[in-house]
Amino acid sequence: MSDKKRDIGFYLSIYRKILIQDLKSKMSYRADFIISTFGMILTNLSGFITFMILFRNFPSINGWDYHHMLFLYGFALVSLTPVQCFFDNNWNLRFHVRTGDFIKYCFRPINVFFYFMSEVFDIKGLGQLAFGIGTLIYAWSHIGLEVTFGSICLMMLYLVTASLFMIAIMNFAAATAFWMEGSGNVMVIMFRFKDYARYPASIFNKIFRVIFTFIIPIAFVAYYPSLAILDPSEAPVMIGIAPIFGILFFFLSYKFWMRGVRRYDFTGS
Amino acid sequence: MLKRLFALTKAGIQESLYFRLGTFVTLFANLIYLVLVYFLWKSIYASAGTDIVNGMSFTDTMIYLILATALFNFLEMYVVWDMSRSIQSGKIILDLLKPMKFKTYTFWSYSGSHVIMFFLTFIPTFIVVMIVTKGAIPMGINLLYFVISVILALVVNFHIEMLVATLCLYTESTWGINIVKETIVLLLSGASIPLAFFPEAFRKVVSVLPFRAVYDVPLTILLRKEGADNLSGVLTFCGFQAAWALALILASTLFWNFSVKKITVNGG
Repeated sequence: MSDKKRDIGFYLSIYRKILIQDLKSKMSYRADFIISTFGMILTNLSGFITFMILFRNFPSINGWDYHHMLFLYGFALVSLTPVQCFFDNNWNLRFHVRTGDFIKYCFRPINVFFYFMSEVFDIKGLGQLAFGIGTLIYAWSHIGLEVTFGSICLMMLYLVTASLFMIAIMNFAAATAFWMEGSGNVMVIMFRFKDYARYPASIFNKIFRVIFTFIIPIAFVAYYPSLAILDPSEAPVMIGIAPIFGILFFFLSYKFWMRGVRRYDFTGS
Repeated sequence: MLKRLFALTKAGIQESLYFRLGTFVTLFANLIYLVLVYFLWKSIYASAGTDIVNGMSFTDTMIYLILATALFNFLEMYVVWDMSRSIQSGKIILDLLKPMKFKTYTFWSYSGSHVIMFFLTFIPTFIVVMIVTKGAIPMGINLLYFVISVILALVVNFHIEMLVATLCLYTESTWGINIVKETIVLLLSGASIPLAFFPEAFRKVVSVLPFRAVYDVPLTILLRKEGADNLSGVLTFCGFQAAWALALILASTLFWNFSVKKITVNGG
């Protein structure tokens, strides 16, 4: 992602500056800020209530009991946080492209993808992170998993990997805006799919399992990594190289996105 | 008067037909989404060990959730979004100057997309469900009651939207207000999980709130559950909807008339 001529420190300092500006402008609409934060907490609560009601009536889903499902749920919440916090501007891409506003991002002497994404930091995502971590810790202690240095590191690695998959999915979805109208729908579909990341992928039939593993890899957002931690013997062998897949998939989505930018330059609109 | 209103309906129909690609993508997405819902609940019921949970069989739950999704797509309005956008751009002044009450204008401009969505999403979904479940949906006079109930649901839904949209005049918030509204409506109306599964106490509270009038009541009437299998049961349900519809019409009209005087438009 970083330009070879400039090191990562340069980009970090730019990110910090843009972030502060963004937060300032958000704070100026205080009411909206408060209501949005409240809204985010409410969505999380509502998700939990649905979950609780479900498990009040049904003891398990496909062999996953309450605490294992909570683990999956918490894992999904945490791994979906980066896409929410750092890549939320993808949702605005189609408006910028349609109105021609997007051209302003091409005129800066820094990476277009970086500049575009840095413009919005969605602070609401932090609430989701807190919910997710709380759930994970609760589930972790009830399942009786060991807490070792190794397991924590593994967990971190898988969380980062899972986030990369989700970020990549949204990048692909958003970048369709460079080619077609109505890309908003593509994003909404992908965003709706992510709700199914918190259920075991084993509930789907073969076709959907293949789709969710290789085409729209939402099974990597929570299911495969959770399986690798909870029940390593059950997890597919390929989970070991999932981090490489994650980086690769992210890189591909970045390339796809940038290809869209080049195309945009060509149309000159 | 009616002619003017139907002109708005017609304009709405033409507008939604213009964005065909979007409509078809939505249709396709819904289909996939429904398949996912199917797999999820199938495995949930498979793990339950019994066929019927809280009076709902797997087929009942599926019909309920699928038709709730279809109803959701059909009833969905973007009044809150549109309102906040037109406040920000100042366009709202033009709408207010129209020789028609703002609320009437808004309601009828949406009617066109409702008509389209009814035929493009609700009817096909309904037919598919009917064929797949092989007659699990009772066919008879309940269909007529269902249509009446859906119209009442539409009125209730619109006025909830209007109330929330009026709030936008004060807060200048868009995303936040909308997500709060959507979360509350979806959870408490039974669209994300059937109300039959709610714990008793929670259900008692939810059953008197207006949200269930949007999705739960029409579906209960259609499936002839909870005493909706005779006329007096249906009348009770529709009466419940009508009472909330009246209350919400009153509340949203008063709130709107009060608030519109305080409107501030930047530029425009």
